[in-house]
Amino acid sequence: MENAIVMKNVCKDFKILNRHEGLKGSIRDLFSRDYKTISAVKDVSLEIGKGEIIGYLGPNGAGKSTTIKMMTGVLEPTSGDILVNGVVPYKERTKNSEHIGVVFGQRSQLWWSLPLIESFRLLRDIYMVPKKEYEEMLELYRSLVDIEPILHKPVRQMSLGQRTLSDILAAFLHNPAIVFLDEPTIGLDVSMKSKIRDLIKGLNQEKNTTVILTTHDMGDVDALCKRIVIIDEGKKIYDNDIDHLKTYFGSYRTLRMRLSDDTWEERVIDETKEDVMQVILQKQKEQKIKDIQLQEISTEEVIKKIYEGGN
Amino acid sequence: MNLKRHLALTRAGIMESLQYRLGTAVTLFANLIYLVLVYFLWKAIYASAGTDVVNGMTFTDTMIYLILATALFNFLEMFVVWDMSRSIQSGKIILDLLKPMRFREYTFWSYSGSHVVLFALTFIPTFIVVLIVTHGAIPMGLNLLWFAVATVLALIVNFSMEMIVATICLYTESTWGINIVKETIVLLLSGASIPLAFFPEALRQVVDYLPFRAVYDIPLTILLEKNDTNTIEGLLPMFGLQLAWALILTLAGTLFWNHSVKKITVNGG
Repeated sequence: MENAIVMKNVCKDFKILNRHEGLKGSIRDLFSRDYKTISAVKDVSLEIGKGEIIGYLGPNGAGKSTTIKMMTGVLEPTSGDILVNGVVPYKERTKNSEHIGVVFGQRSQLWWSLPLIESFRLLRDIYMVPKKEYEEMLELYRSLVDIEPILHKPVRQMSLGQRTLSDILAAFLHNPAIVFLDEPTIGLDVSMKSKIRDLIKGLNQEKNTTVILTTHDMGDVDALCKRIVIIDEGKKIYDNDIDHLKTYFGSYRTLRMRLSDDTWEERVIDETKEDVMQVILQKQKEQKIKDIQLQEISTEEVIKKIYEGGN
Repeated sequence: MNLKRHLALTRAGIMESLQYRLGTAVTLFANLIYLVLVYFLWKAIYASAGTDVVNGMTFTDTMIYLILATALFNFLEMFVVWDMSRSIQSGKIILDLLKPMRFREYTFWSYSGSHVVLFALTFIPTFIVVLIVTHGAIPMGLNLLWFAVATVLALIVNFSMEMIVATICLYTESTWGINIVKETIVLLLSGASIPLAFFPEALRQVVDYLPFRAVYDIPLTILLEKNDTNTIEGLLPMFGLQLAWALILTLAGTLFWNHSVKKITVNGG
């Protein structure tokens, strides 16, 4: 599989002025040369294939945005190499921009006071999309979502959900090879979330677009990503299939049993050490079991555990 | 250079500006008040001078100059510094940086539409009123064409100055003070608030070579055919000064921006 993005040993340091508190401190800061260096990204290597949907996860402040900004060319890495579609992004930001699309959850690239269709036309001209391809893309959009009601609506009158939907459509309009989606479902209701997930999945399948998705919503991850990459304190700590993630801390499952007195007993079972059937049989000898439930550990729980620093 | 994408930005800018007609109407009204103030101020100045001609300009000359300067100001005024500092604070600038165009070009053409609208809605009506009221004090010939050329150059010089100040604001992370200083300097030294003819000789000689003059004084001088600008010999030094500053400031601004943009750490996310 060809690679859309290759990162090799990428580091990013920021120099930050040591600020002092209080009025005196503020005045002292005016002349201060006292900088400290913060490593936002430490030695991250990553290969992302064409057409993949990657869940790029990490707690707040882990270095996700910094990595994305380096991939888009807005930030220059302190050391290491990045290639995006064969281009070094920070050296040729403008050229790189032709082949990527971005959605940053809380900000919109649409023209605020104009109807959506005008933003589309403008983006078509800015990205120099041939008329035929543009029409085809609109056709595809129509087949995936009901865009007619929002197409002629000024962006400022849209609901957050409509606006996010519009922003995602705008990011795919020039048929980019890679789309970066930074928390696309933040603040949306359940039905809109699912609509947006379907849309992203549909566009990825139709156009074989590589999608880099950062999110804090594990529903997005479960619905869209086969592979996830987790970064914490600037370091890559996980890079594998989502199925594999569930066994990250061993194969845990929760067994719930309803006993004869109608109370539920819960046991977390490590399947490498115990067998579920054995536990049930054992219990059955002591007491009658009226009902059993076996629960998989959820992605959310695993991720939470990882963020909290393991066991 | 692909003109289609640039004109698409102009078109969007025009449509966006037209959304804010109330804002334009308020601007026009505020101008009217400002002009009344200017009228009485200069009337008093001329009355106390005791002569009809001060510094080579009659009261009517001065009024025409200042009214047109105000109209020109309304149409050339840019908010690059404000907009940029806001978009840095909100982090929206990243979306503009990720357009497949050079940021400077993208910004310039994004603003172009509002200049077209303001030219039509503020400059043209003022110009027509002045024309009618003064019964031909403004010559109507080739000077109109030269004025158009000078205005485009003025726009470029003004934009370059705005971009340089906006770039400084990337470092200071505060905009208000710097922008006020810039506006005051430009308004004073460009001739937008006091005709340059009223400046003391020594100051005048310095100001004559500064870029500020290229924004308001030169287009107006050419429009009113002052300082022999009805001849090629008078016209060339004017265009020369504008062109030189347009090139110098564009180059300096581009280098400064390219150097600085790496330093922006876009907030949040």
